[in-house]
Amino acid sequence: MDFDFSDQQYLFRETFHGFLEQNHDLKKHAALLEGDGFDADLWWGLADLGLFSMLVPEQFGGLGLSFVDMALVLEELGMELVGAPASETIVATDLIVRHGSEKQQARLLPLLAAGKLRVATAIAEPKSGFGDLNIQAQAASNSNGWRLNGHKIMVPHAVMADLIMVAARIGPSQELGLVMLEPQRKGVVLREQSTLDPACRFYAMTLDSVAVDVEDFLGGAVPQPTSLARLLDVSSAVAALQLTGIAGKVLDIAVAYAAQRVQFGKPIGSFQAIKHKCADMAVAIDAARSAAYYGAWAIAEDAVDRVKAVSMAKSFCGDTARQVCNEGIQIHGGMGFTWELGLHWYLRRAKVLEFSHGDAAFHRERVMAATLAELQRQE
Amino acid sequence: MDFTYSAENLRFRDELRQWLSDNLPIGWGVTVHEPKDEDERARFRLGWERQLFDGGWSGLDWPTQYGGRGATLIEQAIFSEEMARAGAPDGLNIIGRNLVGPTLMRHGTEAQRQRYLPKILSTDEVWCQGFSEPNAGSDLASINCRAERDGDHFVVNGQKVWTSFAQYSQWCILLVRTDRSLPKHQGISFMLVDMRSPGVTVRPLRQISGESEFNETFFEDVRVPAENIVGELNGGWKIAQTTLAAERGPGDAMARQIRFKRELDDLIVAAATLKRGSTSAIDDPVLRQKIAKSIVEIEIMRLSCLRSLSKLLKGSAPGAAASMLKLYWSHAAQGLYETALETLGFLAPLTDGDSLAPAEGRFQLGFLQSRAFTIYSGSSEIQRNIIAERMLGLPR
Repeated sequence: MDFDFSDQQYLFRETFHGFLEQNHDLKKHAALLEGDGFDADLWWGLADLGLFSMLVPEQFGGLGLSFVDMALVLEELGMELVGAPASETIVATDLIVRHGSEKQQARLLPLLAAGKLRVATAIAEPKSGFGDLNIQAQAASNSNGWRLNGHKIMVPHAVMADLIMVAARIGPSQELGLVMLEPQRKGVVLREQSTLDPACRFYAMTLDSVAVDVEDFLGGAVPQPTSLARLLDVSSAVAALQLTGIAGKVLDIAVAYAAQRVQFGKPIGSFQAIKHKCADMAVAIDAARSAAYYGAWAIAEDAVDRVKAVSMAKSFCGDTARQVCNEGIQIHGGMGFTWELGLHWYLRRAKVLEFSHGDAAFHRERVMAATLAELQRQE
Repeated sequence: MDFTYSAENLRFRDELRQWLSDNLPIGWGVTVHEPKDEDERARFRLGWERQLFDGGWSGLDWPTQYGGRGATLIEQAIFSEEMARAGAPDGLNIIGRNLVGPTLMRHGTEAQRQRYLPKILSTDEVWCQGFSEPNAGSDLASINCRAERDGDHFVVNGQKVWTSFAQYSQWCILLVRTDRSLPKHQGISFMLVDMRSPGVTVRPLRQISGESEFNETFFEDVRVPAENIVGELNGGWKIAQTTLAAERGPGDAMARQIRFKRELDDLIVAAATLKRGSTSAIDDPVLRQKIAKSIVEIEIMRLSCLRSLSKLLKGSAPGAAASMLKLYWSHAAQGLYETALETLGFLAPLTDGDSLAPAEGRFQLGFLQSRAFTIYSGSSEIQRNIIAERMLGLPR
């Protein structure tokens, strides 16, 4: 029994923390609104530190580490607002390691480990709601082979992605699975979407009779119906860690400000109205860490309570980031409301993540259902 | 990171399970419950605690030389878990085991340890805690109860309040002012007082829940031998911090978590049978959200305890982390009881004694008791000050 990270895992975090402190800040983040929105220097720096090889097994040129090893690193990325395509590429790597065919693994994993493959995931649809229940995109075969049709929304950095992992119903069984394709394929139309967090670079994607092959189906000729469920859970676990990172960062900024901002002749951090807000934020963040780290463990182990663990994390960390981002701005007063100071970047990213892969209410309902099933089993 | 128990841990667990099934009354928790009368219940709990001691299950974390078991932190966690799983009764000497023990082990003389510690575990001596006073609550350092030197004794005069279990106690850890000329934190001493001394009066206070666990305690010219001072004269404030930290640590929270988890499970079962309009309460989506929120919060309480324990195992000091845990669980648990009453809906006002009261009014009693969570062991406001100042480094 040990619910803590190893010295090596803490060291990983320090390494990434040091790198991001040196090479990334809000100014650079804001500059990503221009151009293609992709920071190549940052990407290759992270790749050199081994970010994309962590989950890849050693036989494919990776470090053969687990999702628990990634947890603190993902929290760190969250703090610095490093999201897609890095985070989505990590999610996709997990999926290919777990569900890819031998051929797909041999082809894709070495590229992923080297940072040479950027992946985006495409799950949500205009009418899908949260989860996978109402996904309509469909791959069907006729005499000309397989064709993929559908509409996806909020595909991050789709234009810059080498590969997009698309959730779709496959074949006559309508089983849900994942289809991997390049955005350049004929029939793929991308339209940039206007969103709360423009740095996310979301695209709507229309798939009009796009030619696909069984080799494009994750798992190959044998489709993997459990892969989409895992994709949603891994994405949620990653979001929970990033939300926790954002909350931790905003609290740090708020505490630093409260300690030096003087009103009524005293630092405002000496007033209990401010002090107590900060303490409540710290407590919520600590609890969020418990949930997010356990979620990461459940993902790594593919634990029997994976769904519940991930949903606990996603709902609680989402609520916590909401509380901390709002209060963080409040503590800054008028300055907190300015574009210049940049707190809004954390607020924006947290808000997008809060509603990605299921909001708190969606995940609480999953917790409820899982708990009822647990109690039933015990009877 | 590893959530599995070692083979050795599992052996410990199985041994304990076996002992519990051999020693709890037949039908415990189903047909047999604790006595409802408070005095009878106190005797029952003391008897159970003695049984635990005889079986070698008392003072798990205490060194064997003082009658403890010298168990590892993990074994303590397993113990809490199993006791709660079996719905085993609480003991009565909670303050002795959880607060006096750790405080004396850290700050007592060897003679004090030899004299007092073994009798705590054997239940021969029950302890209470004389810290708070009518005018010293959150501002504990402003205590007024004074002890004046008289030869090889101190003479104690003053009043304490919220002294839980005082009516059953033989001994008391008492904070007294021994020097009025010093700043308030520096003139305090920590002493051990025999509750059977002449001049000690205990008057039970009736609580919100209708129970009388705590008391007012009066000291009138009570003579206490000078050797009963713990640590330095006027050095009591630091020692009190040890006591308070022990009160808020993961061990305490772990045991509570399992009780809350059982309450939640019972609540869900109740929600499945209660009607709301034409459907079961458990099918009401609004209620499901609230129950799920409590499930998440109470489960996180367990995870945070485990994280805390893991840190302690690696030798880190508890410090403000104990305040974080206490602030977290006290509010989470209050939320749970609010949700419990909402779940009972129109039956919520019915309490024990009415045949229609769900679960014999347990949730209502729990709800009333839960109001104390954010007040005792340092109110939430005090915990927030500790966290903000000691952990976040905000100015005083």
